[in-house]
Amino acid sequence: MTTALSIALALLAAGLAVLLLRARARNRGMESLLADRAERLERLETEFGRFAPSAVVEQITGTMERMASGRRCVTVMFADLREFTRLCESTDPAQTVSMLNGYFECMTRAIVAHHGHVTQFIGDGLLALFGALEPNPWQAQDAVSAALAMRAALADYNLQLAARKLPELRFGIGIHRGDVIVGLMGNQDLSTFTVVGDTVNTAARVEQLTRVHGADVLITEAVREKLDSRFRLTELPPAPVKGKEQPVVTYAVED
Amino acid sequence: MFTNPSDIVITEPILPIVPDAAWEAEVKRVMGMVPLYMRRIAPSPWLRGVCMDWTTYQFDALPRRLADIGFLVTSQENSCRYCYGVARASMRLLGYSEQLITRIEREAQLAELDPGERAFIAFCRNLARSNPRPSRAAREELMALGFSPLEVAEMAFMIASYCFGNRITTLLACPPEAALEGLAKGWLGKLLRPLIANQLRRRPLPRKESGRSAATLSPIARALEGLPAAALLQDTLDAAFASPLISARAKALMFGVIARTLDCRFCENDMIERLAQSGMSNAAVQASLASLSDPDLGPAEAPLLAWARDTVRYHTLDIQQRTHALLHQIGAERTLEAVGVAALANATVRLAMLLE
Repeated sequence: MTTALSIALALLAAGLAVLLLRARARNRGMESLLADRAERLERLETEFGRFAPSAVVEQITGTMERMASGRRCVTVMFADLREFTRLCESTDPAQTVSMLNGYFECMTRAIVAHHGHVTQFIGDGLLALFGALEPNPWQAQDAVSAALAMRAALADYNLQLAARKLPELRFGIGIHRGDVIVGLMGNQDLSTFTVVGDTVNTAARVEQLTRVHGADVLITEAVREKLDSRFRLTELPPAPVKGKEQPVVTYAVED
Repeated sequence: MFTNPSDIVITEPILPIVPDAAWEAEVKRVMGMVPLYMRRIAPSPWLRGVCMDWTTYQFDALPRRLADIGFLVTSQENSCRYCYGVARASMRLLGYSEQLITRIEREAQLAELDPGERAFIAFCRNLARSNPRPSRAAREELMALGFSPLEVAEMAFMIASYCFGNRITTLLACPPEAALEGLAKGWLGKLLRPLIANQLRRRPLPRKESGRSAATLSPIARALEGLPAAALLQDTLDAAFASPLISARAKALMFGVIARTLDCRFCENDMIERLAQSGMSNAAVQASLASLSDPDLGPAEAPLLAWARDTVRYHTLDIQQRTHALLHQIGAERTLEAVGVAALANATVRLAMLLE
């Protein structure tokens, strides 16, 4: 009887030990899977940083939710290359891509150095935002300072292009400030962190006015009223723009 | 956000080590060792004293475990190569498992922590990051979880003090404590862990009693009333403003700029009042804050306002490059003082935000 009980207890103990070992092995497997997933997520975050600002990526991966959209005051900058389409027709495609990438690199550096971020490259143009990712009381002067830095960076870049016997680039920049809706926009397959609203449209129209006025950097009254005296501006005659009943007053930024 | 200290790229140190035997002996007497950054800040009497007092402050209202976790999380959030490395190595030497540390760094929800500790980690991250800025509601949330008002006040001071230390070592681009980090990873560290942990847990020798009465506290320091931190913060603010290398006006404007960047009306108004007492009109203060410049500041102080703004939220490498540029403009002595003032302003304003 005692022997049978001992055997039963020993079998029970052995069974429990096997179960425990299995559970520990499964636990180790889960731990390793978790560590692997965490590493993959980090790699993904790093890679995804090339497509969206890191703050946006962290917010998405941190909360596992769609980023909350909202309305806020943002300074919007549109920059576009002039006559680039015609230039494309006369230049080798590989050279065109190389020129464009170099240009975007220089412009982005100037924008980021002044607290802005590029949200979209649209053909040969770009859309940059100031004050969209975090509150920025100096967003208007940051945007104008960035535009001046972009002007200087383009001059330097043109020297490099000239050395490679490539044509010179010229740009137009339009800057406007106002309320926009910010958020992740797109569909299940393709989304981007961007802004929508009349402020964005107006900034785009002001950029188009650079051709009318023959100036490379134009700002609106909403931007000008936030600037201090260190910027030298020239008031330009009001000009009609699509979507606006009243002609828009703009200022050329000299330096 | 980095999840490994060695991923944080830093520049060359902004300032060299300055040998000062008497100072190093004092640090060793109080702390039992001489951290490398203490040698770089040696030329500034007020800053080195403040750094020692803040580093050795005992968070007695809170469990030690929270202080250890708070140092790790805040330093990680502030991408401070020096402090993050020290925090991680210290936790290993204190006996925390690699698994727990990794989970706190990567995903606190998966770590073996209680709800209060998880809430504390979230509070650390929110206050350190301040985007969006936390407010009184964040304090009330912690109290709802069972923390007393005194514990929450100490938590806020703890995070503010880590933010202060993080900025001192980040803005000066202090290289990591390689010996400590190596010890935590090696077999010797594992073997001697109980002894090392005992040394790390040793209470530092007391330096001095403040002896300050509550009536002499500013409204910001009064938020910490009941804790030794209240007098410590007030003494620190007084010492920072008393140092003559940078004018009180420039320092108050630096505080104002940092308060405006973090949208803290409480601190901004406090500084406007301070500047008004020294004869600067409200319009002049507003113009300076709006343009990040002041016509009355000389060339050695003019770059400080724009630079102070960049110390609030930064990429480590960028802010260190900007601090190198500042060094060329204003010299080593003033740069060291500016680093101390900016670090203090970032800590103070983060604390004050919780009052609003």
